[in-house]
Formats: sequence, structure tokens, C-alpha cells
Amino acid sequence: MEKDVLITALKKIVKPYIQDEEAFENLSENTDFIKDLKINSANLVDVILDVEDEFDIIVDNESMEKMLTVKAALKIIETKLSEK
Amino acid sequence: MIGNDLVDLKLAAKQSNWQRKGFLDKLFTPIEQEYILDSDNPFETVWLLWSMKESAYKAYLQTHKERFFAPKNLACHLTSKNKGTVLINNTLFFTESEIGEDFIYTMAFTKNRENNFLSNCFEFDQPDFETQHSQTYQKVLAVFAKKLKLEVAQLKIEKNVQGVPQLFQGEMLLDYSFSMTHHGQFGAFCIGA
Repeated sequence: MEKDVLITALKKIVKPYIQDEEAFENLSENTDFIKDLKINSANLVDVILDVEDEFDIIVDNESMEKMLTVKAALKIIETKLSEK
Repeated sequence: MIGNDLVDLKLAAKQSNWQRKGFLDKLFTPIEQEYILDSDNPFETVWLLWSMKESAYKAYLQTHKERFFAPKNLACHLTSKNKGTVLINNTLFFTESEIGEDFIYTMAFTKNRENNFLSNCFEFDQPDFETQHSQTYQKVLAVFAKKLKLEVAQLKIEKNVQGVPQLFQGEMLLDYSFSMTHHGQFGAFCIGA
């Protein structure tokens, strides 16, 4: 899957949980889910569960641990998709 | 080190569905899931345990560099209805919670009960995130100004790379452990000795 397609899909997933509109509008690979988008840390698990549903992958604990930024999320999704 | 976390229960009920498939498995250890499922009020226990994890993690980050999202590696143990411990990579934190109708507020300490700390919980009159954020900062600055006999304008709070709040007098870093939290209608801060 192309990276911009992935980013668009991820943007759609995080939208319900963000608390900073401006950071969301300017979302890039360097965006941090908690520091920039101000996603409540309890909602980060919803983002991860939504990612699992959307891409039909399993985000294991080790991968989840790093999933704090858009960049890390993309890398995890790409890796899991390639393993399918 | 001292950390805190507050959960507005009404908002938590709206923001998260703890019964969602996978939710408990991703966040809680088997022991914690047992606490939740055996509880008279599973919803309350979910957020009690979550605030224990968050407050301990916030204290932990003050002396560790790496941020991570591994809720199951923050292992909770309840010693009473509102007291417990959280073990994070061999560091043990002691927690004390206030469980109210509207919110759960937890503080985590590195020692079994810090002797000198100041904690304050408050309700906001404004619902928006930005206002609540700045009001919380202003309250903490006012307390530090009084404590240090300085003007509020001489002090500032900045978060470091890990997101840990630090107090500065001008450009000078002052060595205080403190923690701030706000969620929904409520906010709180605690300041170590």
C-alpha cells in the first residue's frame, strides 16, 4: 500500500480521538499521538484496535509499545501487512 | 518522585467502551482483569487501575528517558479498596486513590507515602481543553510562587522531551517533582517536597 494511502486511512482512524484540531490538520509522519494530537492515552488503545480492524492485522504488545507516533504506526502497519 | 492522574467518570463513559472486544486484553494483565471482572463495579475498577498505571508511569518518566505504550508492563496490585502498588520494570510505586461519584484521582509515590506533598483537586468552569490546560498550569505556578516567595511572572513550566513538566525560574531549572492532570470537568496537581 502507498504511504499516502496509509496516512489517509490512519488519519480517518485517529480523527474521533484527537483534541488538537490544528495538529490534526497538519498531521505528518512526525506527529505524536499524545504530545501533538493530545489523544487521551486510554484512547490510544482504541486507535490500536481500530488499526487492527481496518487492516486486519494483530498489533502485538512489542509493536504497541512503540506506537506513539504516526511514523511508528505506519512502520508497524507496513511490517504486519507484508507478513500476511 | 510523584505522579498523578485523574479520570472524569462521566467523560470516560463517553470516550471509551471498556467492554469493547480487545480493550481489557490490551490494557490489563490477567490479575488486573480478574480484579475488574470480580468487582461489584467493573467500570469503576477499570478506571481505578488505569489511573494507577498513568500516575505511576508519570512518576517513572521523571527518572527514565524512554516513553512507551505498554500498559500491561505497568503491573497493578491492590492492597485495599483505594491503595495499591504499580511495578514498572523493577521500580515499585505506591498509589493512593480518591474514588468519588464523579471522578477517580490517583497519586503515585516512589516511597511508601511521601511525607511532604501538596495535592489539590478542582472543578473547571470552562469545558474546553486549552482553558483547562492553562488554568492547571496557572494554579501550579501560583503555588510555587508562594512557596518560593517569588512572583508568578518569574516562573514558568515547560515540558521536556518525555512530556515531563519542569519548573524554571528564568532559564534556571528548579529541581521539583510535580505532576498535573486534567480530564473533563476536573483537574488536579501534586507537588513533592
